Amino acid sequence: MAQQREAIAVAPLADFPDGSHKVVKINGREVGIFNVGGTFHALPNLCPHQLGPLCLGRVSGTLDRRPETGWQLQWIHDGEIVTCPWHGMEYHISTGQCLAYPEVRLRTYEVWVEDGMVMLRK
Amino acid sequence: MTTSVLEAAVVESSRERLQDVLIIDADVHVHESPTEMAAYAEMPWRLALETAGTLPERYLDLPGFSPGAAELGPKFPGGQGPARMVKTASQMREELHKLSINVAVLFPDHLLKLAVITQKEYAAAVARAYNAWLIDRWLTRAPGLLGCLIAAPQDPENAAQEIAKYAKEPGVVGVYLPTAGVDPLWGDRKYDSIYQAAQDADLPVMLHAVQLVHPVFPFQVQGFDTELARHALAHTFSMMANLVSMVTTGVMVRFPHLRICFTEAGISWVPFIINRLDKEYLERRREVPFLVNRPSHYIRKFYFGTQPVEEPESPMDLVTLTKLYGGEDTTVFASDWPHHDFDHPIKVYQLPFSPEVRRKILAENAMRLFKIDAQGYRTNT
Repeated sequence: MAQQREAIAVAPLADFPDGSHKVVKINGREVGIFNVGGTFHALPNLCPHQLGPLCLGRVSGTLDRRPETGWQLQWIHDGEIVTCPWHGMEYHISTGQCLAYPEVRLRTYEVWVEDGMVMLRK
Repeated sequence: MTTSVLEAAVVESSRERLQDVLIIDADVHVHESPTEMAAYAEMPWRLALETAGTLPERYLDLPGFSPGAAELGPKFPGGQGPARMVKTASQMREELHKLSINVAVLFPDHLLKLAVITQKEYAAAVARAYNAWLIDRWLTRAPGLLGCLIAAPQDPENAAQEIAKYAKEPGVVGVYLPTAGVDPLWGDRKYDSIYQAAQDADLPVMLHAVQLVHPVFPFQVQGFDTELARHALAHTFSMMANLVSMVTTGVMVRFPHLRICFTEAGISWVPFIINRLDKEYLERRREVPFLVNRPSHYIRKFYFGTQPVEEPESPMDLVTLTKLYGGEDTTVFASDWPHHDFDHPIKVYQLPFSPEVRRKILAENAMRLFKIDAQGYRTNT
């Protein structure tokens, strides 16, 4: 039987108000924990571009402009995008999808709230 | 959580054993505040710097000191974050250590725009104050930190005197030629006294630009709608324009022992400009009769900084591009720390060069360019 990976208590839920994010060290590995509108997400704190500390970056939305919107500038994905502080590469937090490179998608971690604690499975 | 922006780099560089590799960095930036520099300026320019120090200081944009308009575009939430600055020698040493950089050559922040100051005496006074400040506050306080004198193009005679004055200074390994907005371009004979002084002092000249919207060729980039477009072209156009200017007036013929380095434009433009100039030379040689060989013959002796290193889908393309200009012996690693488009040395380290060429690009070529040993001590004083 496949061994279930260990669930790790990260921090109390109170440490992660809505819209906040933090980097935590778990067994030597840095993981960014994000509370996006009450839903938790977790990404590695490592941008594959030049190995920058991605999850120390700012969380925001981003800009869009395409034919479907009549080429009008749009603010989209508000609160769902993290930008690497090293070189500005943007990632969609819930999926790990890199916005600049379609072929790059970060791994995500399973993260949930249980008994007032934020839990993570590596 | 107090993880600093550089902590992840330490983890990764130990994995890659970068700290076991000698890395000499041809381009990092100190943040020069006018208030600090004022103490090194003569009167009445000291007052001008003290006054500049009372004004809001924005990144590369300070009225009367680094004229620009960097903050005029629309701002949206998020993005890369505030500009990084390094304000002390100890901060620089600590950050370079985390980047696994052993020896670094310092350039300014604000004074990347020195060439667009319109008043000749002021520009020269600022350059003198910067040189004295850099040597006193940075070069003597931290091992591994070397620096370039700044040469104010507005007053070449004064710049030449500065070079002669500091020719034997242990921490001075080059002469920085401000290339953003310079008019005329650096091939003009009005700058010959600078080149003569640099050659006599056995110091290389380092061309370094910055993005600028300015009515001087090739900085009239107001026609572009995006920062992406302006930034892509401002650095590369200015390096191309100044290289072409220097080659076609024969700077390297007039000063055959002068070492010349082009920075912060990547390397992929070099094969283009070599091939373009060689083609023109076939037809118009009589305009440049002092060239006894193709332009490429001379350009292959110039040095080129890697940053911002191109990131093609196939990394082998960079190996090929380097070969196209004979760059195995003339390409020098540059990080541009702490600026927004800096390169971690791992990016260059991981390129599929041979181990020999990798060592050359990460350190040995810079040792020859700056005439230093592996510890950063000058070998020509």
